[in-house]
Amino acid sequence: MDSVIETEGLTKRWGTLTAVDDINLRIPAGECYAFLGLNGAGKSTTARMLLDFIRPTRGTIRVLGGQGSDPSVRARVGYLPGDLNLPRSMTGKDAIAFFGGLGGDRLHVDSAGLIERFGLDPSRPFRELSTGNRRKVGLVLAFMTNPDLLILDEPTSGLDPLLQEEFRDLLAERKAAGATIWLTSHVMAEVERVADRVGLVRDGKLARELTMAELRHQAIGQIRLTFPAHVDAGQFQRVPHVTGAQGTNGEVLVSVDGPVTDVLARGAELGATGIETEKRDLDDIFLEMYQSSGDAK
Amino acid sequence: MSGGVVYRRWLRDRARSTLVWTVGVVLIVVASAAFYPSLSGASGGGLGSGGSAMSSLLGLSKGIDPGSPLGFLWISLYANIYPWMLMALGVALGVAAIAGDEETGALEYLLAKPVTRTTVAFARFAGAVTILLVVSVFSGLALVLSLPLFDLNQATTSTAADGSKVISPGATAIDIFNGTFSSFAVALGLAGVAFLIGAITGRKGVALGGASAFGIGGYVLYTLSNMTGSLKPLTWISPWRWYVDDAMAVYGLTWNVVLPFAGAVVGFLIGWWAFLRRDLQNP
Repeated sequence: MDSVIETEGLTKRWGTLTAVDDINLRIPAGECYAFLGLNGAGKSTTARMLLDFIRPTRGTIRVLGGQGSDPSVRARVGYLPGDLNLPRSMTGKDAIAFFGGLGGDRLHVDSAGLIERFGLDPSRPFRELSTGNRRKVGLVLAFMTNPDLLILDEPTSGLDPLLQEEFRDLLAERKAAGATIWLTSHVMAEVERVADRVGLVRDGKLARELTMAELRHQAIGQIRLTFPAHVDAGQFQRVPHVTGAQGTNGEVLVSVDGPVTDVLARGAELGATGIETEKRDLDDIFLEMYQSSGDAK
Repeated sequence: MSGGVVYRRWLRDRARSTLVWTVGVVLIVVASAAFYPSLSGASGGGLGSGGSAMSSLLGLSKGIDPGSPLGFLWISLYANIYPWMLMALGVALGVAAIAGDEETGALEYLLAKPVTRTTVAFARFAGAVTILLVVSVFSGLALVLSLPLFDLNQATTSTAADGSKVISPGATAIDIFNGTFSSFAVALGLAGVAFLIGAITGRKGVALGGASAFGIGGYVLYTLSNMTGSLKPLTWISPWRWYVDDAMAVYGLTWNVVLPFAGAVVGFLIGWWAFLRRDLQNP
């Protein structure tokens, strides 16, 4: 399958600071790729290199088979920056007409549905808009040409929960229609809903790449069993699907990767009087993975 | 195609400020002309006898009589306030073309769309030239229309130091064109400097400071050189040297008027070249 985004040894240095370090990406058509990392990890710098705002110190980039500086490539890209800024007097309507007009006849602008969907008032100048409303303008501008590639930097930042949900629906629709999506985010719920694959970037390096199936696999369950007296956690170590067990003061916390039937049966055998289940959310996993990728360095 | 869209949008974003500038400059020009009836016939010797420094400050070179219509327009407008106003506008526009929007991130967003850096640079510099031209044309026209209202089109007669009568012609539309055009030229040259610094650095403050320092520094250098004489070799860099020395509003256009146009073109081309090759600043 052809790659929509392809980078080879992508590196960006400013003096002694290495913002992006030898990143290799292959993002095929139709995939939603989430680029995850803490602030300053190199996510936005990578996004800015994709569109030729900044040039790599080393390495190569191909976007939609060409260069990010090529207007014919940009005509097929919808971009939402982390912090959208437009001329202060420009209204949403002006912005749609202006940015839609830059592509000439190549672009079919379809903004009315998006305006209604996000509840945007297009008559207000940019200087009067709140952070959330500025975000809405950015989303309408990014999606209005039905681009083949969406590059979205923290897309739901500043949006209320209802609009975040609306955005995720829209993203899922565009993905189903065949668009390729590259997004950066801190919000794992967003990533979980839309992404096919995640790349974990740390200190400018692509520390780890994994599919959502692999990521979800990390979200194994935990079972907390309560006993009337102290029980040795080692009693659970050989139970099928148990990946770990810890015990303190009549409680045993068992990590399970798979069916829990055997664990429950073993708990009953040992006289368990209480049971609680919990599933780690992706935020915990993300932080854990982030920590471990740092430790591994 | 997209160049025209960028050009029109840039002008539209500045429509209100252009109107304010135009009205402001027109008012100052007309108000300055309105003082002529009360000052006409004043002795040129009084105004011009303050030594070379004062003459330099007032632009009274080559024996210009400040009591004559053209001499009055020269010292009250064209040698001082008028080019300063246009230069301030030129610097603001030159800075806004690249660096102003770059600092806010608006330029980066524009460059995410199907438009090249070259298109943006050319369209915006053309926009800066257009606005400068609009303000110059309207203020020049306002002054032409003011000439008969304040007797600036009437010839005057004065008595020279040797007792002979000197007849000074009234100001004409051609004189106003010469003065306005040369002021526009010097302002455009400074706009080119502002564009150049902004396009190289992407920093609004640096471009504003650098271009302003160039304009003000050139004036100070020229004035000091007239006082001391020792700095004269350095004044080639000052736009005031040819502007004040040639006094084109009084004596007509000279080929020196080409210099600031050439400077603007060189500034634009180098700025464009640098803009194509550098990273955009992080907003």
